[in-house]
Formats: sequence, C-alpha cells, structure tokens
Amino acid sequence: MATGRYTSDLDTGDMLGPVEFKLSTFVVREYCHGNEMHHPWFQDTDRPMVPPTLVHLQKLRLYTHSCPAGTGPTARVHVEYDATCHETIFAEQPLRATGRVAQRYEKRGRTYVQIEIDLRAAEDDRPLITYRDTVIISYKPAAAEASS
Amino acid sequence: MTTLQPGTELRAHPRRMTRERMRWYVDLLPTVEADDGRVHQDVPTIHDDDEFARSQGLPGIIADGMLSTNWLLSLLMDAFGEDALAPGSLRTRYIAPVFEDVVITAVARVTAVQTDPDGTARYALELWCEDAEGKKLTVGDASVRVTGSVAERARAPRFLVSA
Repeated sequence: MATGRYTSDLDTGDMLGPVEFKLSTFVVREYCHGNEMHHPWFQDTDRPMVPPTLVHLQKLRLYTHSCPAGTGPTARVHVEYDATCHETIFAEQPLRATGRVAQRYEKRGRTYVQIEIDLRAAEDDRPLITYRDTVIISYKPAAAEASS
Repeated sequence: MTTLQPGTELRAHPRRMTRERMRWYVDLLPTVEADDGRVHQDVPTIHDDDEFARSQGLPGIIADGMLSTNWLLSLLMDAFGEDALAPGSLRTRYIAPVFEDVVITAVARVTAVQTDPDGTARYALELWCEDAEGKKLTVGDASVRVTGSVAERARAPRFLVSA
C-alpha cells in the first residue's frame, strides 16, 4: 500500500478513490478551447458533450485524493493513452472515478506505472470510460538523478 | 450511405507546436481540477519551463502527449462528427518527444470498415502524428461506430459563401 504520500510511491495493487464529481460546462469548453477542438457539440450548446480525453485529467483528481503530497521531486512523462468509451458523457453529469495501479515495472532503467481508471455514471454505476494510463514516473534515469 | 474505404487517409492541416499551445494545455490541469470558473496556472513543468525541463534531463520543453492525442481526436471528429466520441476506442503511444516549434500533422488511415444491416459502419483506423519530414512521433489506433454518411461530413465546407 503506497497511497497517502507522493504519486511516485504508487505500487501495483494500490487503489485510488473513488471520487465523485461533475465536469462543469466551463471546464469542458475551456479544455476543448485549450486543445483547439472548436466543434459545435463542445462550444455552441448549453449541454456540451465531454471529450473522452478529459478522463486523463481525472487521474490528477485521484492523485490529489490519494497522494496529497503531490508528484514528488521528478517529472512524470506520459507514455500511453488507451481509452474505451462506452457512452457519450455530458457536462454537469454526476460521475464517479476509481483508479487501480495495474502495474509498476522497470524498463531500461526507468520506472513505469500503469493505472486503470474506471469512470462511471454516479447515479446508476453505468460504465462510461475504461482508461489505461501509462507513465514513466521519472524521465531522468535513477543513476543520473543520483549524480546531479 | 457513403463509407470510407480501407486505405483512405485523412490528414489534418499541419500545426506548429508552439510554446503557447504547450502552455494552454499545462494550464488546463489545475483549471479542470479546481473547476471554479477561473483559469489557473500550474507550477513549472517540463512542458512550459525550460530550466525545469533541463533539470529533468531534457534538452528543452516538450509538449504534453495529450495534445497530440487531442489533435488526432479532433481529426476523427472532423470526419465522423460526434460519433467519434462514443462508443469506440482511442489509443495513442508517444514514441518520440515533440519539441517546441515542431510542425505536427495528425493522420488517420482506415484499415477496415464493416457495415451492419442497419447501416451503421464500424471503422478501424491507424493513427499517427508526424513531423515535417514524415517522422512518426505519436502512433495509435481507433475504432469508431458511425451512423451517418462520413464522406459528406468530411467534405462539408466550414463556411458558406454568398454573393
């Protein structure tokens, strides 16, 4: 069990959350604007659809909940985004996210962490997005880190 | 209904990965988490602070991979409309860093299409983002279920001209 401190401490089997929340119309539009996705179903409606890629930022919500000390001293580097979307999500919809550290492993001197995030409708537990996120928890190899 | 055939390639207009585009994404992280109607700025990251990026072993700032993912999703939405959002899947793997001012083109290639009796088309696509020399920096794949006519949507003008 490595939750409770830095995200870089996370280990295989750790559970993150669940957290319940809504994504406001404001953040959906802001996210789409920041990524230059100016499509009408995001920007020109009172009830925007949520781009599935926003699930990635719910990882940060889970980190804040389960690892309140933050990221630790080194930068994470995102390696892979892998999402299966079951149903369209809308702004202001009650949501529940749960995370699980599926794997922590070493490869070429770097530590990788793979987290699975299960995003569901809070009202009836319907699955909305199943997401697998892979990061290198420290881009700088451990040997270089020790010598700097 | 018109469908796109295997081998069809969709290419977005090239975009320069500017420092500003990188920062727009960085500032989304605290903004989405706070969700209080205001834009927030993040602490220095490898995506917007040269000194911090160098301290992490990088030659300079690099773009967050999700920018490439969202530019690919945007291309899929241009072609397939809101059907590109769900149900379906999207996977992207960041195989090389995207440095400042690299020109990126998002590309989707149809690898398979299956049409159901009700007219729904199921597409499998290979995805990538390439630089100006054609080097792939991000690779991936997607599946999209489409209920409308894709070709007409893809060819629809983004503006009207009237005399």
